[in-house]
Amino acid sequence: MANSNLPRRIIKETQRLLSEPAPGISASPSEDNMRYFNVMILGPTQSPYEGGVFKLELFLPEEYPMAAPKLGRICLDILKDKWSPALQIRTVLLSIQALLSAPNPDDPLSENIAKHWKSNEAEAVETAKEWTRLYASGA
Amino acid sequence: MDSEDDMHDANDIESLDDDFYSGETEDAPLDYYSDYDDEADDYFEDADESDKIKSRRPEQNFTILRESDIEQRQEDDITRVSTVLYISRVDASILLRHYNWNVSQVHEAWFADEERVRKTVGLLDKPVVEFPNARELTCGICFENYPCSRIESAACGHPYCISCWEGYIGTSINDGPGCLMLRCPDPSCGAAVGQNMISLLASDEDKKKYSRYLLRSYIEDNKKTKWCPAPGCEYAVTFDAGNGNYDVSCLCSYCFCWNCTEEAHRPVDCGTVAKWILKNSAESENMNWILANSKPCPKCKRPIEKNQGCMHMTCTPPCKFEFCWLCLGAWSDHGERTGGFYACNRYEAAKQEGVYDESERRREMAKNSLERYTHYYERWASNQSSRQKALADLHQMQTVHIEKLSDTQCQPESQLKFITEAWLQIVECRRVLKWTYAYGYYLPEHEHAKKQFFEYLQGEAESGLERLHQCAEKELQQYLSADGPSKEFNDFRTKLAGLTSVTRNYFENLVRALENGLSDVDSNGAASSKATSSKNGAGSSKGRGGRGKGTSRINKMTDDSSWSCEHCTYANGASVNTCQMCRQQRR
Repeated sequence: MANSNLPRRIIKETQRLLSEPAPGISASPSEDNMRYFNVMILGPTQSPYEGGVFKLELFLPEEYPMAAPKLGRICLDILKDKWSPALQIRTVLLSIQALLSAPNPDDPLSENIAKHWKSNEAEAVETAKEWTRLYASGA
Repeated sequence: MDSEDDMHDANDIESLDDDFYSGETEDAPLDYYSDYDDEADDYFEDADESDKIKSRRPEQNFTILRESDIEQRQEDDITRVSTVLYISRVDASILLRHYNWNVSQVHEAWFADEERVRKTVGLLDKPVVEFPNARELTCGICFENYPCSRIESAACGHPYCISCWEGYIGTSINDGPGCLMLRCPDPSCGAAVGQNMISLLASDEDKKKYSRYLLRSYIEDNKKTKWCPAPGCEYAVTFDAGNGNYDVSCLCSYCFCWNCTEEAHRPVDCGTVAKWILKNSAESENMNWILANSKPCPKCKRPIEKNQGCMHMTCTPPCKFEFCWLCLGAWSDHGERTGGFYACNRYEAAKQEGVYDESERRREMAKNSLERYTHYYERWASNQSSRQKALADLHQMQTVHIEKLSDTQCQPESQLKFITEAWLQIVECRRVLKWTYAYGYYLPEHEHAKKQFFEYLQGEAESGLERLHQCAEKELQQYLSADGPSKEFNDFRTKLAGLTSVTRNYFENLVRALENGLSDVDSNGAASSKATSSKNGAGSSKGRGGRGKGTSRINKMTDDSSWSCEHCTYANGASVNTCQMCRQQRR
């Protein structure tokens, strides 16, 4: 059972995430696997994602914290070669939140959107707002 | 080739007996080319001056290092830096690693701006955080409290418990040589984690790996040293740039090119060798896969497979070069104006200019010329296997026959060195000859004159080598199987030593000629007349009854009992009736 010998560090991190959540971020472990987190990040105010709720899945591999958490395809250096065991779930999620405030179109997941962003930022921002409203407005 | 008939000229064979085997040694190199014709004299302009030949023989500009030598040098360098900068040996080692083990660069940088160097390398002169009165501290990784005796820190003072350090260091060492540049786990801190921490906190196995990486780094990061590329060889080579000769022969007996670390390949240049080797392996599935799925890191050349979403690539440590997958340019050159990562404008522009299409088109053409390639490849490969065979024979000679021969012929072994020398020469010639086929393959089709001249020289080289090989193999046989001393043995010595010397000179000249790109041949066809005049020249030289000692050397290299294959021109030994090269029957 994955939960039986959960390192103290993960338990402590989890407790802190639940008791003192970072503003706009919630992360709660799955009931049957304490290494698996359901994450919600609120779109930062004054960003096109404002009002949106963004869901993520985060998984702590066996080697954690010596290895980085697994978090889908996000181009973030601290999830790759810049990972350090002194970083935490909280710092990772804060970095992702910051990415929403200042998207980096030079390191995107979707080429088309980045292209759009660079050629016509105002229009791309409108699309982002629209899609946030359509697909990320809670529910 | 029509020049063959003078090669087989009977007069020349005679003159061989007159003056050639009269005991010339390599101290008086034979005027090997003087009988070609005047133009050929110009071509190998100074072939007859012994001192120049000597100077052409490579000066040794490399040193082979055993593991103990490497350790010694590394220790010495660390001592130097540690003494001069008045820092610990651990710090000196970190500094040297950072500056690729270049002692003078370390000194220069340090004395220019010690503060900056300390900051970039992570050598703190005082802690960032201090807990002078704490009895317990919280580990920054597992968040547990520990008595101070269970807490360790790098120079910065950031506290981590011993078991987290063990995990951190163990993970890093098992990730590869990047562990040599390990820093404090705190992301805002750059303090270096040196070998003292490793000795304290790593398992014995990991300590060994770390020391291994440190030793490897001394060789691999240093521009002046490389490992011998022979499989299983653990020697390294340090090389001082010099006369443009890159050939290195390791103590393990492997000869390789310092510049490209392929097997020694004079007279062919490194670029041609790389193309040729890639070509040879292009058929294999493996290479197809690498071509289709990977690109070489533009900095360290290791093949890289792209397995993440974006075009922003970071090579693995120690290289860590960041580049764009599309154009392979430095990532630092990318940004707004180049179209960012995904639609690299540099790539698009180059593609429009046809740069990338061009390489694809070439690949296509190469496929179509498979047949032509096969011709050269078979000859390349057969000289390769000939060379392997000769190496085995040489070994047999050294371990068994020389001793036996010394007994039967009543000769001290020191007097039999000429046999080993002959075999060493055969091995070397096979190597050169092999590479001439790669050379020939890449010689442009339209340069008819060069091609013709090249094929002539190559043909001569082949028949010359064949004669030497035959003498060292077949003629030696009768003395090996004899019961007692033969009085002809001294003649045999003179003959074989002479052949060795003449073949060596021929091949050395050949190597230089090819290295010069056959520069004397006018690419517009003037050389076709040269090739013809060469024939005439040789013809007239026999009319003159020989000119000095060197008369008609080249022709002597072909024994009348050997035969040239009509199909491929390969000079075969007398004992075979099937061409060793193309398997056609002798006619």
